[in-house]
Amino acid sequence: MQASRARLFKEYKEVQREKSADPDIQLVCDDSNIFKWTALIKGPSETPYEGGVFQLAFSVPEQYPLQPPQVRFLTKIFHPNVHFKTGEICLDILKNAWSPAWTLQSVCRAIIALMAHPEPDSPLNCDSGNLLRSGDVRGFQSMAKMYTRLAAMPKKG
Amino acid sequence: MDSEDDMHDANDVDSYEEDYYSGDAMYSDDDDDAGYEFLHNDSDDSDDVLISRQQKNFTILKEDDIRQRQEDDITRICSVLSVSRDSACMLLRRYNWNVSNVHEAWFANEDKVRKAVGLLDKTTYKPTKARELPCGICFESYLLDKISTAACGHPFCNTCWTAYISTSINDGPGCLTLRCPIPSCGAAVGVDMVNMLTSDEDKTKYQRYLLRSYIEDNRKTKWCPAPGCDCAIEFDLGSGSYDVTCHCSYSFCWNCTEEAHRPVDCETVSKWIMKNSAESENMNWILANSKPCPKCKRPIEKNQGCMHMTCNPPCKYEFCWLCLGQWSDHGERTGGFYACNRYESAKQEGAYDESERRREMAKNSLERYTHYYERWATNQSSRQKALADLHQMQTVHLAKLSEKQCQPETQLKFIIEAWLQIVECRRVLKWTYAYGYYLPEQELAKRQFFEYLQGEAEAGLERLHQCAEKELNTYLNEDGSQDEFNNFRTKLAGLTSVTRNYFENLVRALENGLADVDAHGASSKTSSSKNAAGTSKAKGTKGKGSIRGRTDDSTGWSCDQCTYMNSKNATSCQMCHNSR
Repeated sequence: MQASRARLFKEYKEVQREKSADPDIQLVCDDSNIFKWTALIKGPSETPYEGGVFQLAFSVPEQYPLQPPQVRFLTKIFHPNVHFKTGEICLDILKNAWSPAWTLQSVCRAIIALMAHPEPDSPLNCDSGNLLRSGDVRGFQSMAKMYTRLAAMPKKG
Repeated sequence: MDSEDDMHDANDVDSYEEDYYSGDAMYSDDDDDAGYEFLHNDSDDSDDVLISRQQKNFTILKEDDIRQRQEDDITRICSVLSVSRDSACMLLRRYNWNVSNVHEAWFANEDKVRKAVGLLDKTTYKPTKARELPCGICFESYLLDKISTAACGHPFCNTCWTAYISTSINDGPGCLTLRCPIPSCGAAVGVDMVNMLTSDEDKTKYQRYLLRSYIEDNRKTKWCPAPGCDCAIEFDLGSGSYDVTCHCSYSFCWNCTEEAHRPVDCETVSKWIMKNSAESENMNWILANSKPCPKCKRPIEKNQGCMHMTCNPPCKYEFCWLCLGQWSDHGERTGGFYACNRYESAKQEGAYDESERRREMAKNSLERYTHYYERWATNQSSRQKALADLHQMQTVHLAKLSEKQCQPETQLKFIIEAWLQIVECRRVLKWTYAYGYYLPEQELAKRQFFEYLQGEAEAGLERLHQCAEKELNTYLNEDGSQDEFNNFRTKLAGLTSVTRNYFENLVRALENGLADVDAHGASSKTSSSKNAAGTSKAKGTKGKGSIRGRTDDSTGWSCDQCTYMNSKNATSCQMCHNSR
């Protein structure tokens, strides 16, 4: 408990100090609970998510950093490895490939990388995975773009 | 498991019989004890031969043996590859503890192997020459003496290392391939670091996984599947029978790790076990119900080993548990026939009441299956009971009997041998019912031959079991005379030997796929099986002339009923009292 709190506090200070280090990631700790974090990440360029801003919710276990944090998308996203309803993410480093050397910041970077390089062979969103697996890249991109516009961009007007 | 050894020893049988019979003929003129001694020594000798033979086939490894072998293998890798014990251990684990595979891979491409296992030959991380270093997990800075590193040099504080390794150990055997926490690094974390940094409890767990890996990853070793047994068996692949027996006395098939099922093959056994679990609902229903006494209809639960049931007074009806028929129909003296192993045999018998009932039973396949399953299960529980009886005999009754009869326990070994034989025979008999179920109906000759052999074996076993269980009781509870007891000794030892022969015939016949049936009249291994194969109506002529090989009036005569070799001046069989 103490170890995880100390470590999270270190990460918190690091985030405060280097706020502008990574302009694509904005990591915020809950005011009253250091085990709850939210992040805003920018959709990577040259992907259907470009221009969108996606919100992630972190729930950090007491055994952190020996156990990985639980992360899910709060913003709806059309992506093979993200559950369309719950926002759950299928990413190896959040499961068995976790290492205590990862930080919340580096998890965000890994999720941005996953957005740019989906893994259609282990899909949580089967519709999305099937589009890619059948080679319909245009179909996938237009769907993903539509949802980005609907859910991840400020409403016009 | 002496009896089992004997059974497997097909080649020695002939010479063994020779010895046995000549010894037997000799003893009838002399006193009983001498004859018994001879018999006794004889079986001991054959055991010794068998034990040495078994050791060629498989080796039982106790925990210490396993550790020793593991250490030896590690030492060999260390000296040949000039690497640390820690590295040698990781290399061996990667190549499933196969020393020559490690050598081969290493000398083919050392760099590739090093990379795959995570053995770095130089550090990848060059720390500054500061007095303090930041831990990569908790991000605090520590003096160098609080910091540890794997071969790569990435610094983590000892507290974080301990927590990191302990988490991995508690996650399971994956801890054996633990790497540096830095995701891109891949340097292995081996047993040295585990020993340096973790609690005793975690160390023990890690060692346990390492030991398990040595057995489980190796193609030639398997754990003994008996509950609570820590031994492993190393098996010489491609050598004969798969049956192995552990120190804990559990016999199992090394190939499929089910309990030993010789002479039935693994495929049949797995089919049978699958079928049993699929049909278990029906079976439970059928077997949960006890059987009513055929005469007075009181429900009876079977709690003793053999099939000969006697209802409580005043009824006292004696019947066979399997077919519920009168027991006197089963005995030898009445000239009746022990038919309970037969499924559809009654046809030939004609007037037999049982036959009508059986034909009815054969109508649907569930009932056919029930027939075999019931006999399989009954023999199974009979065997369990016999095992318990054997244990009871060894721990309690033997001493008591020794006291009562004023004989040293070593002289009473024939009782233990009889029980060992019963336990083994129940096991074989049990599996022959699985065999019988899968033997195609249309192969009439084979079925008949099989059922004949099975019937012979079963009848012999019932006699033996009855004698060991019931008759022995009288000597335990009251002071029988010395003479009576000596007669009992002769009878039980004789029955043990006769039953062993029956089962040897049965096992041999099943193992060569009942080939004697095809080779009609060709010389078969035993005279009894040849006779049975040649006689399609084996029923009526059961026993008659079946074991003829050794009838020679100058030494004695072989009983038509039970094949016992009697002395030449005996007018009735010493074993079954059948007149000559």
